[in-house]
Amino acid sequence: MNMDDAAPTPTSATRSLPIWRRPVSRRAVLATGAAGAGAAALAVLWKGADLTQILNRVRDLTHDYQGALSNPRVRAAHLLRRAGFGGTGQEVDRLAAMTTTDMAQSLLDYQQTSNATLDGQLPTLDLSSAKGPNPGAVQAWWLQRMVQTARPLEEKMTLFWHGLLTSGLDKAGPGQMYVQNELFRKMALANFDDLLKAVSKDPAMMIYLDTETNRKGKPNENYARELMELFTTGIGHYTEDDVRESARAFTGWTLQGGKQVRYTMQSAFIPRYFDGGQKTFMGKTGNFTGDDIVEILVPLRATAERLSTRLFSFFAYQNPEPEIVHHLANTFQQSHYNVGAVVREIFSMDAFYSAKAYRALVKSPAELTAQTLRATGADARAYLAAANAMAPMGQVLFYPPNVAGWPGGASWINSSTLLNRLNFANAAARRAPMSSPAQTGDQLTATLVDGNITGNTRDGLQAFAAAHPDDHAGLLFMTMATPEFQLN
Amino acid sequence: MFSRRDFMKQGLLPVFAGSAVPSIFANGLAAAAADSPQATPNGRILVLVQLAGGNDGLNTLIPFQDGAYHDARPTLRQDTGVLTLNNQLGLHPNLKGLKASWDAGQLAIVQGVGYPSPNLSHFASMSIWETASVQGGIGDGWLGRYLNYLDKVGESPNHALEGVSAGSLVPPELRSKTPVTALQSLSTFRLQPVNEHGTQVDVENPLMKFYGAFKTAGPAPFGALLDTTLQEALQASHALQATDATYQPKATYPAKSPIASSLKLVAETIVSGLGVRVAHVTLGGFDNHAREKPVHDKLLLGRDQAVAAFMQDLAGHGYGDKVLVMTWSEFGRRVKENGSAGTDHGTAAPMFLLGAPVKGGLYGQQPSLADLDNGNLKFTTDFRSVYASVLQGYLNAPASELLGGNYEILPLLKA
Repeated sequence: MNMDDAAPTPTSATRSLPIWRRPVSRRAVLATGAAGAGAAALAVLWKGADLTQILNRVRDLTHDYQGALSNPRVRAAHLLRRAGFGGTGQEVDRLAAMTTTDMAQSLLDYQQTSNATLDGQLPTLDLSSAKGPNPGAVQAWWLQRMVQTARPLEEKMTLFWHGLLTSGLDKAGPGQMYVQNELFRKMALANFDDLLKAVSKDPAMMIYLDTETNRKGKPNENYARELMELFTTGIGHYTEDDVRESARAFTGWTLQGGKQVRYTMQSAFIPRYFDGGQKTFMGKTGNFTGDDIVEILVPLRATAERLSTRLFSFFAYQNPEPEIVHHLANTFQQSHYNVGAVVREIFSMDAFYSAKAYRALVKSPAELTAQTLRATGADARAYLAAANAMAPMGQVLFYPPNVAGWPGGASWINSSTLLNRLNFANAAARRAPMSSPAQTGDQLTATLVDGNITGNTRDGLQAFAAAHPDDHAGLLFMTMATPEFQLN
Repeated sequence: MFSRRDFMKQGLLPVFAGSAVPSIFANGLAAAAADSPQATPNGRILVLVQLAGGNDGLNTLIPFQDGAYHDARPTLRQDTGVLTLNNQLGLHPNLKGLKASWDAGQLAIVQGVGYPSPNLSHFASMSIWETASVQGGIGDGWLGRYLNYLDKVGESPNHALEGVSAGSLVPPELRSKTPVTALQSLSTFRLQPVNEHGTQVDVENPLMKFYGAFKTAGPAPFGALLDTTLQEALQASHALQATDATYQPKATYPAKSPIASSLKLVAETIVSGLGVRVAHVTLGGFDNHAREKPVHDKLLLGRDQAVAAFMQDLAGHGYGDKVLVMTWSEFGRRVKENGSAGTDHGTAAPMFLLGAPVKGGLYGQQPSLADLDNGNLKFTTDFRSVYASVLQGYLNAPASELLGGNYEILPLLKA
């Protein structure tokens, strides 16, 4: 849905629409439009202003959450946070001038966007040494991608897949995790059946869930179980017999080569390892292969609903309404299981831009770290340091806590992780090569907290600025320490 | 030992006396003064060690005389070095510390622990154990309910260190409205608002302005969580800083061992005297579907050495009779090994309770290897019976109320 094309007045007809189709009224947009225009003007006005003036203007910008996403700049910033890792002031400006459809389109059609600048700056991972790259190098490499990419949705989807189709450094090597990460990037918005078939043969996955040792006559249930419980239908849609039978279907694949350099191993199908007997799976009987099992699982409604729920919860808000899940599951099934079609639909729903969605997610440590580095700047060493700083915040890239991935949401926040999130913000702000009042003001309004904070937060920032009139980095830190910034 | 009143005198008051301290801490201070581990009748501490992934019970408490065990485990069976407990059962050779506790009468082993209609999903089964409900789900954890009970009867230390876990996530067992803390280290558990010149900048007053009303002014569903968590974090970190950081371990913990580091951190927190009531550490890696033996052997060795050091450390600090350690895992493994020299998900497994409070011995009944359910052991003791025994027999808490049902009390613990 394109909100800019929406009918100006709510009618009984629009009221009866499902909530993601209900347009926001023009009147509601106009009511808060003045604040939006004000924000754009202020970004200019602030150049050269001092901290006191900035905070005086913040007071004027404070307004109710309910109308926040009616403001074109806030909508753009919201989309850039959710579809990526937060926008710069320029990016917010560029998207704010577009219609909702064009905004979403510009993020979705990233194949047309060159990532040459990023590619030129990324370190070359040493994939030739016998030991392979070390974990820190791969983590820093990915974090740098998140910060510098010109295709934010590509990286965000890669993070999504890493959290759903998990593998981890507790079993797979860093080189293998790197190879898997590139697979997720390449197939970020692909058809789900194609992605699952590829992941089933991905070396990191084969090691993580033991497909590599799954042999005819000696089945290993690990991958078959998690494929159903976590990757497709979810629990309650299969039996223990389905687990045992599909484990037989995934026999035959193993890893070859790489005796010296383990991460260069390739998956290979060895016919004599394959259990060619009849299997009965989900009420069907045949000489099924692993690909056949994927083709049985992906069309199931439970798979469509589960993946739709996961995607919407990742991008918009948790516990989506059943009608939203139903709609997205239809999109998934009607598009031959195309993930890009579902994501496109999410970014066009009014629910995505509703008050319920605004700041309704906790920033994951990856999101928090990447957005902080985008705001404060980073050099090569900073990426490694920041990747390490994510551990006490509760997320180590390539090292999910278990095969279910990070639980996310409320679990990101406890007393220890929150202190570490604030300490990281301080360290980053103190290192930032900037912090003129104008830049601080720009951070505050355009990129970090949408110029939209509670009166209490504004009072706290003013109290800080009054006590530390020259501490620009401190004010940047305090802005990132606000509860508003901790949310996404 | 360092009493709560001592640290009040020595450290806490100067920290809290300044006008810069938000008023919420005044409440915590008053509450803390009224309470100390020594002053309450129930200063007992329960430490859970989670063996995540599904520990192979049959290769932990080994039925070494049972031919069916040897038949089912052609490559994984322990043929030599089993630490015999009687003429049927013995501990894995790497559990020498546990064996020493057994010999000292300080190890209780409950055999065949599980629950009806076993769930072979890691996450469903963990959730069942964590909530003590066969429905599982996202409700309060069973120890969260215990902390709520302490609150209700006025035995809570009133800060978030009454329940601690080592790591960055709060385990679901401790989940409830009562705040608890996930810890990575005590020394970094504090705000460090140092500026470019190395000077501490006062940020707590503005932070309290941001967060103090975010419960109502912030957005659903996480505004309230941020508000309360920040307050709890500052309160707990102040309490910690007010203690003298003079913990010296009275045991040598194994180096380069995450489980040892976790238990050492728990020991340090307990010894700080702030009133830890329940603690949780996790040792992962037990989901041994392939090439199990070297991995499992190493995990058991690491767990044994770390727990032995922990018990020695606490005893050295005078906490020996106040701490009970209990291990749990979401399930055991399939009786018959699979073709990858590993084991798939199974059901019943033994639980271990360790420390001066236990009455050493074997409890319950070893499941039969000849009478299986789809290749899996049939449980003989419900895990909630073990929980009930600990809640009632050790923590003096109303087990039936906290578990939502009556379970047999096993005589695992001294009065």
